[in-house]
Amino acid sequence: MEHTVKAYSEELNNLTAEVTRLGGLAEAQLSDSIDAVAHRDLPVAHQVIDRDDKLDLLQAEIERKAIRLIALRQPVAQDLRHTVAAMKISMQLERCGDLAKNIAKRCLVLAGSEPLPPLTRSIERMGQLVTSRVKEVLDAYSKGDIERAASVWSRDDEVDEHYDSLFRELLTYMMADPRTINACAHLLFIAKNLERIGDHATNIAEIVHFEITGEELQSDRPKWDSLQRSAAVE
Amino acid sequence: MSDMPLKSWLTTAPFRVRGWLDGLFDVRRTIAPTATAADFGRTSDPPAVDLLAPLYEVVEALPDPVMVIGAVEPDDFAGRRILFANLAAREMFRLSAENTLLVAAVRNPEVLDVVDEALFKDRLGQAAYETGGAQERYRRAWARPLSPAQGGMKRALLLVRDETDARRNERMRADFLANASHELRTPLASLAGFIDTLRGHAKDDEAARNRFLDIMDRQAWRMARLIEDLMSLSRIELNEHIAPQGQVDLRLALADVVDALSPQAREAGVTIRQTAVEKGRAVVTGDRDQIVQVVQNLVDNAIKYAGRGGTVDIGLEVGLAAEAAVTLRKPHAARLSLLTPDHADGLYAAIRVSDTGPGLSRQVLPRLTERFYRVEGQKSGERLGTGLGLAIVKHIMNRHRGGLAVESVEGEGAEFLVYFPLAANAGAVTKAS
Repeated sequence: MEHTVKAYSEELNNLTAEVTRLGGLAEAQLSDSIDAVAHRDLPVAHQVIDRDDKLDLLQAEIERKAIRLIALRQPVAQDLRHTVAAMKISMQLERCGDLAKNIAKRCLVLAGSEPLPPLTRSIERMGQLVTSRVKEVLDAYSKGDIERAASVWSRDDEVDEHYDSLFRELLTYMMADPRTINACAHLLFIAKNLERIGDHATNIAEIVHFEITGEELQSDRPKWDSLQRSAAVE
Repeated sequence: MSDMPLKSWLTTAPFRVRGWLDGLFDVRRTIAPTATAADFGRTSDPPAVDLLAPLYEVVEALPDPVMVIGAVEPDDFAGRRILFANLAAREMFRLSAENTLLVAAVRNPEVLDVVDEALFKDRLGQAAYETGGAQERYRRAWARPLSPAQGGMKRALLLVRDETDARRNERMRADFLANASHELRTPLASLAGFIDTLRGHAKDDEAARNRFLDIMDRQAWRMARLIEDLMSLSRIELNEHIAPQGQVDLRLALADVVDALSPQAREAGVTIRQTAVEKGRAVVTGDRDQIVQVVQNLVDNAIKYAGRGGTVDIGLEVGLAAEAAVTLRKPHAARLSLLTPDHADGLYAAIRVSDTGPGLSRQVLPRLTERFYRVEGQKSGERLGTGLGLAIVKHIMNRHRGGLAVESVEGEGAEFLVYFPLAANAGAVTKAS
């Protein structure tokens, strides 16, 4: 949409740019934290923990700018959705960053225990899947691509499936050798964090869809309750 | 004239230099700061105006992404714009004319930092970054400061190079070493343990000694098999890009494998059935030993998983198109193609090996050809596999431009399918015989 006030459209653009920048940070936090777990890279883990402040600051900044824009420019229709979406997405991204930081912290603890290569490989694989979700949804956001957003949204259960399979793998390990329980419990939380980051990616996809079309994504996505499912499997 | 830098010559030249050319010559200057007109093969005559168009084309045609970034103020993130992007950059980052925000192309924080340094602090920098995604890419970006445009807009050059292949090879090697040594360590530790026991309190216990020696024997054989598999895998990888030359009749290869494995099947209490083998010959281009190894690995696995009282079915079909070869046989089965040939045209011969074992769940299918992967919950005591069998099958099938697929219903068994392209002159060979 053309705006008579050039500064207004600049402000809107600026919001997108900052949210994407925040997305880049969250993405880097996520892939670095997985790297740290996979390769026992403690300096990287510390770096992730330290960088979290940057995300919090940027998120607060986006929120402030969005509120200011709503107050001063009183955007309507698409511009309003755009502004609200920037605010909501930045909150989701900030949560992703927190979860990644938590993964990095657990990595520090894990470094003290015996390595469990097959498990860390499974975590790494699940991490890659979740990273790819986050990347796709951010690509969809920065390019305004509804189809990509919808595809992220509809494939949410792949992450859940990975989580279930990892859950069972971890249980098997813990039952076989109680000495691994400490490390496995941390890995279980890491897996849970990854699963939640996947959920945030799905949420962002919904927000992107709403921002562009003004309509909610129909919520008839085949949803498996992961608890139910693992109960069925046991 | 000849000593004059090309850029100053251009600015004094009697034609207008277009905006992007400005950026372009900054690029050149950064790469080779002392380049002059003489570097372009001219000594006295000024270069023809034509020279400019090729330079634009050169940058446009470079295989690596090249972008010129412009920005006015450090605090204005939306102000960082892509002023120019060559074809490779437009394709890699899916850039469109209306969206020129820098973050639309790259949002990695480290890359953005080096771009900022180049823009506002006049510093060179580089950053490596990974992009998650279905295909994970590993890239390196270089930022170089350029001279500002008229009007004070700061400019920087951003070059990106894809380093995925190098990185992947490096990682594969490291993972492989870690896995292989882990796999060798287990039997070795058990050998060492038993030697200790034999030297110690089991010294004079003959029954225990015999039992331990049996176990040690099995472990030693396990290590030997593992090393043999590793060596054959590395041999296969070495030749993976050399197409095989010989011609092999799959029917004969199948018969050989069945003969060779029938004692093992009898011992395991498994019946091998060859179902509906058509008449005529099934000649494919291939390396006989490797094809035998493929069938052997598949049948060997099937025997192991079928279990006592189970059945292994081996089928051969000839003259199928690739799609027909991989069509689903059981509609409710989980199914995955583990290897698909690049150019799936022409006719194929397919070998199906199925067992009546416990089957495989959908989640494990994608990992079957991973080296050292074993399905979880498998009783490791009785299965003496190396975890390399299917990896070997996959590499051999890849060398033969064939395909590999798996289909399974949990609780009902699994079926593996390999298909080879039929030799072009198979008919002629049949006649000649």
